[in-house]
Amino acid sequence: MKAFSKLLLSDLKQFLRDKTALFFTIAFPIIFIFLFGWIFSGSGDINYSIGLVNNDSSPIGEGITQILGEIPIFEMQEGELEAKLDELKNGDVRAVIVIPAGLQESVAAGQTAEIKLYYDSTQTTSSQIILPVLRQAIDEVNRQLTQQLLLLQLSEESIQAHDLRDIDYLVPGILAMSVLYLGLFGSLTLVERREKKVLKRFGATPLPRSTMVFSQVTYRMILALVQTFIIIAIARLVFDVQMVGNWFILIGLVLLGTLAFVAIGYFAVARARTVEGAMPIIQIAQFPMLFLSGIFFPVDFLPDFMRPVIAAIPLTYLGDAFRQIMVEATPLHPLWLDATVIGVWLVVCMGLAIRLFR
Amino acid sequence: MKAKTDSAVIDVKNLVKNYGDIRAVAGISFQVNKGETFGMLGPNGAGKTTTAEIIEGLRTADSGSVSVLGMDIARVPSKIKQRIGIQLQAPSLLPLVSVQEILDLFSSFYQNSLPVNDIMEMLSLTDSRKVLVKNLSGGQQQRLSVAMALINDPDIAFLDEPTTGLDPQARRSLWAVIEDMRSRGKTIFLTTHYMEEAELLCDRVAIIDHGQIIAINSPRELINEYFKESAIQFELDPPPPEVVLQSFPGAKQVMVSGNEIIIYSDNIPATMSAILKYAEKAEITDKLKDLYVREATLEDVFLKLTGRKIRE
Repeated sequence: MKAFSKLLLSDLKQFLRDKTALFFTIAFPIIFIFLFGWIFSGSGDINYSIGLVNNDSSPIGEGITQILGEIPIFEMQEGELEAKLDELKNGDVRAVIVIPAGLQESVAAGQTAEIKLYYDSTQTTSSQIILPVLRQAIDEVNRQLTQQLLLLQLSEESIQAHDLRDIDYLVPGILAMSVLYLGLFGSLTLVERREKKVLKRFGATPLPRSTMVFSQVTYRMILALVQTFIIIAIARLVFDVQMVGNWFILIGLVLLGTLAFVAIGYFAVARARTVEGAMPIIQIAQFPMLFLSGIFFPVDFLPDFMRPVIAAIPLTYLGDAFRQIMVEATPLHPLWLDATVIGVWLVVCMGLAIRLFR
Repeated sequence: MKAKTDSAVIDVKNLVKNYGDIRAVAGISFQVNKGETFGMLGPNGAGKTTTAEIIEGLRTADSGSVSVLGMDIARVPSKIKQRIGIQLQAPSLLPLVSVQEILDLFSSFYQNSLPVNDIMEMLSLTDSRKVLVKNLSGGQQQRLSVAMALINDPDIAFLDEPTTGLDPQARRSLWAVIEDMRSRGKTIFLTTHYMEEAELLCDRVAIIDHGQIIAINSPRELINEYFKESAIQFELDPPPPEVVLQSFPGAKQVMVSGNEIIIYSDNIPATMSAILKYAEKAEITDKLKDLYVREATLEDVFLKLTGRKIRE
C-alpha cells in the first residue's frame, strides 16, 4: 500500500513537471471544445440561396414570389434565367425556380401551368431538403388558388426535453474522445518504461508488477476526472451547455471508460518493443473509433456493411452514454447496455493484455 | 582463502543460456561465500551480465540451477529480492523525479531499508538531493544507481560496472563504500572492467570468456599461478617480428599490439640488453619509447588467458 501511494504520487509529480504532457492533457480538450464550439455555433440558422426567375407580372406570379420569400430557410434571389442557371452550375444558388409567363391566363382558363425547378441532383441537400420544402410551398399556393378546404394538418412537436444544438451533441463527444486518448495513450508510458529498462529496474525489487500497473491505472483515472471537470466547466461557462444528469453515474462511466481504454491500450501494445513500434498500433486503434463511433456527428450516412463495426466499437457506447446523461439526448441503447458493452471490452482486453504482456 | 563449504550465499551449477544460436553462458558453476567480495571479469559479450542477471532473477536460465541465500531464485524470487540489492548497467531512470524522491520511492518497495538521508550521505548525493534525474551528471547518475542498489541494506549487493564513468576521486570514495560494506559482513558481487579495482577490492575473481569461466581464484594467486615472470613493456616503431622477440634470452611470452610490446621475462637484465641491442642494430634507438619493468598484474593474467586486452 505504501509502495502504491508513493508510485501514484511520483506519477502525479512527474505529470506536473512534464510540460508537454500537461499541455496535451489539460489544453487539448479545451482547444477542441473551443474549436468545435465556434465552428458549429453559427450553424443553427441554415440558409439556402435559391434563384427565382419570375416571367409573370400578374398578381398570381407576385403571390407565389411572396410565399416563397417567406420560407425561413430560403433566401430568394431574383434574376434572368441564363444568369441564374450559371449561378446554379457554380454552386452560388442551390436551385432555380422559373415562374412561366401567362400564369394568370392559364389559371383563369383552368389549365395546369408548369412551374419549373432546376436543381443539382448531386447535391444531397437539394433533393433531401429543398425539394420537399418547395413542393409544400407550391401545394400551399395550389390550395389557396383552388380554395380547397384543409381537412388534415400535421401538428409537429419535438419529444426532446429541450432542443439539442450541435454544441450539445459535441460536448459529450469531446469528453468521450478525451477518455479514449487518456486510456489508449497511457499504454505508451508502459512501453517507454520497458524500452528504457525502468521496468527491468522495478523488476529487480520486490515490488509486485500488479502494484505498478494499478498505480498507473489509478493515475490515469485521476487525470480523466480532472479532464471531465475542465470540459464540463468550459462547456457550461462558455457555451452554456448544462450537465443535466446524475454526477455519480457520469463519474462512474468516466472511470469505467478509462479502465476499458487503458485495457485496450495495454492489449494493443502488449508485444511492442519500442514507443516507435507502439505508436502506429495505437493510431490504427484510435482513428476508426473516433470517426465511426458517431461521437461528433451521427453516422447514419455510413453504408450498411459498416453497421457491425460501429456496433462493436466501445466508443460508440461511451459517447451514447455520455450524451444521455449530460444533455439527455435520445438514447441509441439503454444505459445498462452501454455500460455492459464497455465492461465486456474491459474484461476481455484486460485478460488478453495480462496473457500477452512481456 | 575462505572455506568453500556451506557458507556459500550464491551457488551456481551448470548454468546455460542461449540467445538463438548464440551460447551466452555455456555451463558455468561457482560459489560465492558469505562476506566475500567476488569479482567477475571478462570482455564485453563474455556473458558476465547475463550470468549476473540470471542470479538476480531478471532472466531465466535454459538449464542449470541457481541458489541465492539458500533459496531457489526461480521459486521464491520476491523473498530473495527483499535481501539483495541490484545495480543495473547504465539504467535510465524516471527522468522527472529528484534524487531524494526516487530513493524514497525505492525504499518503499522494501520491508527494511536504510534512511534515505544516510544513503545520500554515503554516496555524496546530499547536495544534489533536489536535482531531477535528467539533470544529473553521468557520475551522479552512476552513484544514484549504486545508492538504489544499497537502499535496502542488502545481504548481497550486485554491482555491475559501478565505477564506470566516475572520476578518480569519486571512484575511490565508492571503493570506500564497498569496503565498508565488506567490513559489515555483506557479500558483494562485482562485475568490472577495471583490473586494479578487482585486484584491490575482490577476495576472489572469476575470469569469464565465451560464456565459460577460464580461471577462478584470488587475484594474488591468479597472478602467481600464471606468472613467475615480470613484465617488460615498451614501444618500438616498427615492432620487431614476434619470432625475434621470442628468441630474446629470458623471454617466456610475448604480446604485440600495434607498436606496443610486452615481454614476460624470468631474466630481466638479459632480456633488457637484447631489446637494446636489437634497437641499436636496426638503428631505431630513437624510436624506442616508454621502456619499463613492472610486476605482472591481473590485466596480464587476463591478456594471457584470453589473448586480448579487456577493453578491446
